[in-house]
Amino acid sequence: MNLATYARRNMFRRRGRTIWTMIAIALTVLIFCLIRTVLVSWEGSAEDAAQDRLASRHKVSFTMNLPLKYITDVRAVDGVVGATYANWFGAKDPLKRVPFMAGLAVDKDSFFEVSKEFSVDPAQLADWKATKNGVILGDILAEKLETGVGKTLKIESDIYPGDWEFKVAGIYTPNRKTADRMTMVMHWDMLNDDPRNAWGKDRLGWMLVNIKDSTRSAEVSKAIDRKFDEMDDQTLTMSERQFALGFVGALAAVLDALGYVSVGILLIMVLILANTVAMSVRERTNEYGVLRAIGFTPRHVATFILGESILVALAGGLLGVLLTFLLINNLAGPALVKQGGFFTFFHTPGWLMGLALLIALIVGVFAGLFPALRASRLRVTDALRRVD
Amino acid sequence: MAGSIVTLKGIDKTFYRGKEPIHVLEKLDLDVPEGSFEALMGPSGSGKSTLLNIIAGLDRPSSGTVTVGGADLTKMSDNQLAKWRSQTIGFVFQSFNLIPVLTAAQNVELPLLLTSLNGAERKKRVATALRVVGLEDRMDHYPRQLSGGQEQRVAIARAIVNDPKIIVADEPTGDLDRKSADDVLTLMEKLNKELGKTIFMVTHDPAASGRAKVQRMLDKGALQ
Repeated sequence: MNLATYARRNMFRRRGRTIWTMIAIALTVLIFCLIRTVLVSWEGSAEDAAQDRLASRHKVSFTMNLPLKYITDVRAVDGVVGATYANWFGAKDPLKRVPFMAGLAVDKDSFFEVSKEFSVDPAQLADWKATKNGVILGDILAEKLETGVGKTLKIESDIYPGDWEFKVAGIYTPNRKTADRMTMVMHWDMLNDDPRNAWGKDRLGWMLVNIKDSTRSAEVSKAIDRKFDEMDDQTLTMSERQFALGFVGALAAVLDALGYVSVGILLIMVLILANTVAMSVRERTNEYGVLRAIGFTPRHVATFILGESILVALAGGLLGVLLTFLLINNLAGPALVKQGGFFTFFHTPGWLMGLALLIALIVGVFAGLFPALRASRLRVTDALRRVD
Repeated sequence: MAGSIVTLKGIDKTFYRGKEPIHVLEKLDLDVPEGSFEALMGPSGSGKSTLLNIIAGLDRPSSGTVTVGGADLTKMSDNQLAKWRSQTIGFVFQSFNLIPVLTAAQNVELPLLLTSLNGAERKKRVATALRVVGLEDRMDHYPRQLSGGQEQRVAIARAIVNDPKIIVADEPTGDLDRKSADDVLTLMEKLNKELGKTIFMVTHDPAASGRAKVQRMLDKGALQ
């Protein structure tokens, strides 16, 4: 036997209480990881937006269009190396196989030049460019719509009435993990030439602009906006990240709130463990008195208590990380991504699991510190008198 | 006559209830010869346990000097006192105070964990101590698997495993039936006679007191 034997036996002295505490810690770690994964996944996709890319939209609202000729002016701005444009098509699956998909009507010649995050087979791309009603689908979207290259696809639109029939010309795959895999890319010309879009003829939704030097993005943004200052339709140019965040203004507040909730979860973890440790210490005060009487020092007593608290916290933390790995990274994450929609990737990174374990360790120290100090400072005679 | 192993001179001990002082021991002098077996009796609140705690280095007097086994306890720090206790004093408590998650052998081994003895040596000492108390066949039993008398004998084995000079016992038979109490007292007599341990026992029980060589009476903080 050694001192660790005593510490280890103490840990499972109240087996049920210790196990429930560990489960509670594991669940808080899981919830913490889940919340942070939501934030990391969302912020990650925004952060992962190309640094050297700007987005330019109507100054008043995203829903208002800009004249097509603006793209020529933007391409002429100093520092711009490439620009493309797109309109929101409001695509929806009439058979409701997917709850949400992005449908973009894009300039066939420049869209994939600027949007480097999408990878398309050159032959498929050439075929698409030559096919006015051709579409290129994200790989997950194609799978969900049970379609493939060469097949016909019927899609409806929230904006433009009636059925729209397309030919699937290609499938794109993502070049970075945050790239959306649920997008349908169609020809801007097809939309522009359709009578159902008579009201929006020769007008574009927004422009994506590649710049030469990402450190000059603010300067180039201003230069673009300045160009249209005197026009009826003024632009608002921003980084692609801001543009992406703009889609979810209200959601951003919810995400902020989630961040606070995750901190609250940690406090709950401290309270749960502190309560368990305090109960154990109270029950064993007399025993600590005996140990002190036979020669153990206050430091020994504090180490026993602190060690037990840290062990319980770490065991709970490890269980929580294991649950995170199994439930988020191997079950819910892939399912969410496959389902398509909001998350282009949903994966708890290793560093976050490490952080959760580190937090569990710190929680163990915090929860055990006060009872450990209090017990170690008790007079031996007082401790021996205590029978709870 | 053997020399004193415990010498107390002019001991005062005052506790405070709020601001009101309570004088538990007053100007108390005591000499306990080495190898004696002494019983300290007295009414509740007379200061018996306080005196025992001072002798055992668990408590400090408000004034006076305490010399036990040649060491002046009043000059020691808490950590020095802890080390001194582990080497000099064996404790026997009324309610046994065994650690429930440890076996009898592990309970007896506890004080040895503070020494530099290796595992084999500790095991040997534990076996010897349990043999002395007649429980070598209960080594692997947990306290809950032992009777009260057996638990107290394990506690006595824990008290002697470090080969201390003095054993202090606070009501060692208080929680036992008559038969078990007799067994424990017989064991303490044996430790005193055969192993030469000095035993200082606080008790309410006249039968237990009668087994000691010297009986002392404490009342209102003074020895009668």
